[in-house]
Parts: sequence; C-alpha cells; structure tokens
Amino acid sequence: MEDMNDRMREIERKSRAAFDASVEAGDAATRARLARARAAALGELRHRPLARPAAWLPVGAAAAALVAAFLWQREEAAALPGIAFEDFDLVAGGEDFDLLVEDADFVAWAADASADGVG
Amino acid sequence: MEDGPVDRSATLEVPFLLGNPCAAREGSLDRERALDRFLAGIERRALRIARLALRNRAEAEDAVQDAMIRLVRRYAGRPEEEWRPLFYRILGNRIIDFQRRERLRRAVTVIWRGSPDDERSADPVESAVDPRGRPDEALEGEELLARIEAVLATLSARQRQAFLLRNFEGLDVAQAAVAMGCSAGSVKTHYFRAMQALEEALPEWKT
Repeated sequence: MEDMNDRMREIERKSRAAFDASVEAGDAATRARLARARAAALGELRHRPLARPAAWLPVGAAAAALVAAFLWQREEAAALPGIAFEDFDLVAGGEDFDLLVEDADFVAWAADASADGVG
Repeated sequence: MEDGPVDRSATLEVPFLLGNPCAAREGSLDRERALDRFLAGIERRALRIARLALRNRAEAEDAVQDAMIRLVRRYAGRPEEEWRPLFYRILGNRIIDFQRRERLRRAVTVIWRGSPDDERSADPVESAVDPRGRPDEALEGEELLARIEAVLATLSARQRQAFLLRNFEGLDVAQAAVAMGCSAGSVKTHYFRAMQALEEALPEWKT
C-alpha cells in the first residue's frame, strides 16, 4: 500500500512538472492572444453600466419570490427521503459507490492523502 | 449552460449608492486591477488545461476567452479567493459545450454523408500516442505530457476534470468540488480513478 501511494505521488510530481514546463514553453503569439482576450474581458467591466436602484426592483423581487416558492415546492415533491443532497452525485455515479464499497486501495489512499492534506 | 448563481453585486458599488462617485471609480479601478492580475496569472495554465481537454487550440482559446468574459460579467464583485474555482467552473462548462457541439457536428456529418466521417483523424483516442509505448524509456517533458494526454483521453470527463484541476491547476478538494459542481467525496474518487489509470498505463512508474 505504501508503494502504491509512493507511486501515485511520483506520478503527480512528474506529470505536474511536465505540465508546468509546457505552460512555460507557450509561444509569444499565444501570449499575445491571451492578453487581448483578457483586455476584452476587462472591457466588459469598464463599459458595463453601473446599476442604479430602479423602479422595477420591487416588481422583480416579487417575481423572484414567486419563482423561488414554486421551485421550492417542486424540489420538495421530487426529493427522495433519506438521501442528503450532497450524496446525489455519489449515488448517481455508480463507479463512485462501487469504489467506496469494494476498493480497499482507494480507502487506504484517501486516508494517506488526507494525512498529507492532498487527495 | 448555466454557470451558477448570477451575482450582480459588482454593479452595486456601495460608494456609488452613497453618492461618492470618486470612491466608486477608485474601487472599480482596484477591482479591475485585481481581475487583471488574477486573469494574467491564470490564463496560460487555463489555456493548457483547455487544450488538454478539447485537443483543439482554437476552441481552447475561445473557451478561455468566454470564461474570462463570463467571470468578469457575473462574478467580478465576489471575493477574490472565489474567482479561481468559479473561473474553472465556467471554463469546465464551456469545454462541455464545445465537446457537445463537436459530437453533434460528427453525428450530422455521418447522417449527411451516409458513412463514417473520413475526416476523423482528430479522434482523441485513435490519434493518441500509445500510452504503453516504449516503457523502458525515461519520459521527459512534452513526450511525457503527450502520453498523459493520451491516457486522459480515455478517461471519463469527470475523472479527467478532477485530475486536471487537482494535479495540474493545484486546486484543493473543496475548490475542485466548486469548480466541478459536485461533492468533495466525488472529487476524490474521480481523482483516484484517474491516478489509477495513469499508473496502469505508464508501467515505468511501477518500478
């Protein structure tokens, strides 16, 4: 188990180093395009109108409250008893469930990773 | 695709509401400078990640630019420490959009031509470098990355995303969970699966 965790750390280290090197190796033309994209994005901030409290705000708030109440009622009707919301993707993804039940490697790795603050 | 709750707080600068336009302008400039620093610091890594996910440079650049614009539009007013996971959530959604579009394009091409697409040299799995090739050779730099890319192409989208965000971008589990829109436990399992696949596909790492 120790070996597996060591190998995984080695994979993490080597692959990250390769990725970092490839980022650094980016060409000047790409950097220029990224700088233009960034300037365009920041232009959105510069040119967007500052919002002022408007007459339609109370109407909008009332409409939002109505929509929220409707959605809340729908969610209540659709909710399955006994399953926490954050578990839905775990239950929906069969592989995750299998992993937890069957894979002792994962449990050992997760414990090790938690101790290291990674994983 | 919806990237999360839309935050309009950036447009409701408190000094402006208090009738101090100078302070509002200064605050807005500070925010713009902070966003510029953030985007400049993240853009090259984000582009590399998008290219690994999409395997298409032009689409990757479009996805990154879209993510920048959406972040600025929607989340500029959020605390700076939230920008990184939010940016990657938006970018992840854009990547999924591009992948769906590509699948649709291929499907339409097949229907139109009545035969499999002959121009599918871009198939990520078939055109990939064999990850099991030359195991005795020490892997360095671009070649190593190419083989990792080939392995990543065989993973599920969620596993690939977990690996890219956790290992390459260095997001912690909680940030990756925000970026992926799932639980921390799910991030861990997807990441572990990705690591297992890499370990199996790159046998020289087993020695």
